[in-house]
Amino acid sequence: MNKKSTIPKVPHAFFKWYCRQERYEELHGDLEELYFERVSQMGLTKAKLHYLLDVIRCCQPYAWKKPKNQTNSNVMMFKNYSKTSFRSLMKNPLSSFINIFGLSVAIGICLVVYAFIEYDYSIDRFHENKDEVYLVTFFADMDGTHQQYGRTPVPLGEMLREDFTHIEKVCRVQNRNVVLKYHDRVFHEQVRYADPEFLEMLTFPLKWGAASSLADPNSIILSEEMSIKYFGGENPVGRDMLMIFGENRSKAFKVTGVAKAFPKAHIIDFGFLINFENLLVSDPDYNPNDWSAFVDATMIQVDNPHDLSHIEQNMEKYKVLQNEVEDDWAISSFAFEQLANLHLRSGNIRNDISYDASSQGRTALPVIALFMLALACFNYINIAIVSAAKRLKEIGVRKVMGANRGRVIAQFLGENIFITFAALMIGLTLAVTIFLPWFIEISQWEMELKLVDRNLWVFLVSLLLFTGIASGIYPAFYISKFGVVKIFKGSVQFGKKNPLTKLFLGIQLMLACILITGAVMFTQNTAYQNARSWGYNQRGALYVSVPDGAAFEQLNAAMLQNPNVLATSGSIHHLGKDITSTVAHRPDRQYEVDQLSVDANYFEVMGLQLTAGRIFNDHHKSDRQAVVVNELLVKNLALGDPIGQLLEIDSTKYEIIGVVSDFHIYNFYYELLPTIFKVADNNNYRYMSMRVRSGSEKETYEAMQVQWARLFPELPFQGGHQEDVWGIFFEEVGTQETFMRTVAIIAVLLAGLGLYGLVTLNVTGRVREFSIRKVLGAGLKNIAANITKQYVILSAAALIAGAPASYILIKSLIGLLYPDPVPMGYTSVAIAVLILVLVLLAVISTQVRKVSKSNPVAGLKVE
Amino acid sequence: MGRIYLGEFEELVLLVVGVLYENAYAVAITKEITKQSGRPVNVGAVHKSLYRLEKKGMLKSQLGDPESKRGGKRKRLFTITPFGKKALDESMELRVNLRKQIPAPAFNWQIG
Repeated sequence: MNKKSTIPKVPHAFFKWYCRQERYEELHGDLEELYFERVSQMGLTKAKLHYLLDVIRCCQPYAWKKPKNQTNSNVMMFKNYSKTSFRSLMKNPLSSFINIFGLSVAIGICLVVYAFIEYDYSIDRFHENKDEVYLVTFFADMDGTHQQYGRTPVPLGEMLREDFTHIEKVCRVQNRNVVLKYHDRVFHEQVRYADPEFLEMLTFPLKWGAASSLADPNSIILSEEMSIKYFGGENPVGRDMLMIFGENRSKAFKVTGVAKAFPKAHIIDFGFLINFENLLVSDPDYNPNDWSAFVDATMIQVDNPHDLSHIEQNMEKYKVLQNEVEDDWAISSFAFEQLANLHLRSGNIRNDISYDASSQGRTALPVIALFMLALACFNYINIAIVSAAKRLKEIGVRKVMGANRGRVIAQFLGENIFITFAALMIGLTLAVTIFLPWFIEISQWEMELKLVDRNLWVFLVSLLLFTGIASGIYPAFYISKFGVVKIFKGSVQFGKKNPLTKLFLGIQLMLACILITGAVMFTQNTAYQNARSWGYNQRGALYVSVPDGAAFEQLNAAMLQNPNVLATSGSIHHLGKDITSTVAHRPDRQYEVDQLSVDANYFEVMGLQLTAGRIFNDHHKSDRQAVVVNELLVKNLALGDPIGQLLEIDSTKYEIIGVVSDFHIYNFYYELLPTIFKVADNNNYRYMSMRVRSGSEKETYEAMQVQWARLFPELPFQGGHQEDVWGIFFEEVGTQETFMRTVAIIAVLLAGLGLYGLVTLNVTGRVREFSIRKVLGAGLKNIAANITKQYVILSAAALIAGAPASYILIKSLIGLLYPDPVPMGYTSVAIAVLILVLVLLAVISTQVRKVSKSNPVAGLKVE
Repeated sequence: MGRIYLGEFEELVLLVVGVLYENAYAVAITKEITKQSGRPVNVGAVHKSLYRLEKKGMLKSQLGDPESKRGGKRKRLFTITPFGKKALDESMELRVNLRKQIPAPAFNWQIG
């Protein structure tokens, strides 16, 4: 016998836990004997395994502890409770179905919302140093507002590193667009220039290679996705890739690492990482000491957050340095943003490396989940109260047998929590199999519901208790209140006149009204956004990005041969693709404006509407000092008659020669900004755009691709239809519509089901009354009026209160999502009310029909 | 009154308890069954049968002496009661009876 081979602790503890005291010695003695024998026969590991199996096998009734008082009346009572509960559930399959189904759907939706919040909260929180890494941001006064920016002056990172011992690590990040080539695979890509600390401060473990290789300026590190794009599944470490920065500038990099797949909930990532020093190679204008230039991000790592305020105070000197050379974005103060919270704060920060994609969901989704849960709970409460009539005798008997009120309450609450539990299980299944996949598909948020997550179970249990108690507490108290004598005498007035039932039904109708209004509004909004003018003519326009002016000339010449091409234009920037920001000075103050450098044809090609003055002359070198502006700029700068006025940009004076009507550079989520057009230097053209004969867009686009392949076989083609430059915007608008519609349909279904259950129970309860009415000669009309009466006033009141509430709520919601939503009319509210009235009528008419067809004899017969 | 019911495995356990006589406790019974019948048996199943048989009154038991190979724990030793013997006999008798009643032609298979 091996002395070290003691009994495995965990199974032993389990055995001790379940085994009854008086049999422990003999039973465990057997197990121990077998265990020690096996240790010597087949080794420790196998013996442990067998022991575990034995413990599990022995876990049978003969070994279990006996319940202390098996014959206790409590146990009998609970058996009886569960039996009666189960019977009453089975007796009313309709209302049970409505309850459980309604709750399941609502819980399913809550779970989806939970998955969303969990996803939203965990974005970029997988970094080990998420609390110690900060993004350096600054504030500058722009257009009279104090604006926070996420980029930083180029030299700041280096200076921080040298000046502060508190700062553990510094990392600068800069994104650039390049062309990347490996054999025949050539693509336009965005690469991240970053200091070697990037992979130390952020947690991106590598699948292959070493993170330290980022220190080598000749290394490139790929994301898993990009590795697959270029190299398939194989390990690319050691391969060479050619990076083309621009005309005649390129460099070969050796692949030294591939990152593991990024966690789903992330925003900050990379496709390609190269050493920051490569900026010197790729960009001849890059000057590491230029305080007027910006780098995309500077991150610092500080071990002690208290040091931050100290650092901030001592950054005054940088401000001075920067303000000397750059007065357009003169820094007024610095601030640090913690990595863990960056994406939540990112909505307020301009030009930062993170973004906030889910702010809309953060407000709207929990509200919707609560609405749904409320709908289902109210259904439950109403049906429970009304159907309690059938269980009055049971309650009476229980009370006679000695149950006090508390026990009756406990019974009903327990029953309810059990029903909720069933609903929870169904809801979980629904969420995992239907709702969540659907929601992920329409929203493109990569959420997941991890079943082995402690928070999820905490959430589930609290949801269970909350829903179970919220929906059960009132019926339980209400039902348990009745006195025994009253019950048996039959003098309990029930259900009909309960004001709370009516209130709940009213609230349900209001909630449904709000959600339907939302669905109608979002449908209208989609149509509106689709039909809305972009401010220029995006249809029949094509664009392609070109490497330089010479390439533009070649392609231009080729394309002008094509009879479908009506006009072409060259530009440095392009609507929907690329613009730059600059600052326009007026004598009184300065304004941040968007700037596009274009040629004279651009206005015609893109269909921009000139409202005053003229556009550029079609000669090189002319109009170098002229700008065309949009109407918003005229309005914001209060220029009066703008033609001939002067704007100072980069210390050069420009004369305004023309005004074009406002247009949307990016999609409708973005607010319009004052915009200027300057004349582009034709050597620097980066885009070619063209207007084509309508109907020939596809054909011309293909012809352009053919020409491109002929002229520039080495370069990947990057162009498209102007209509598509907003990309996912219309998809997103459509998504919101689909989502709201589905939610509204579910809401109507829930409210309708609840109403149906309520009316049915009510009518069933009054079957004798109706039979007598019929015997005495009441016609269909009379009965219909009788049933309808009690719901008409209630519904009218609910809808009168609900309509304005829907109007206000949905208006503010949609105003939150779009700067310029569809103008809110009353039609949507009217449609919602109409739908609800129809549902009400349909539900009531089924019951009226039932009563009118029933035989009064059957209703009057008493056993 | 019908005959006393004995499951197949229970009968096996009962028999082995008899066979082992003074040393009939769960581990030994398990091993014996495995050895004699050649089928793998786990100790849990044996426990279960032993306790059931004891409850039915076919076995009685007492605790033995502590042993070091059992971690100093005592074992429960089982012995057959007269009622257990009766059950065994009845079961045997029934089998033998039935076996005898099978007419010879039933075993007379034609080969080929």
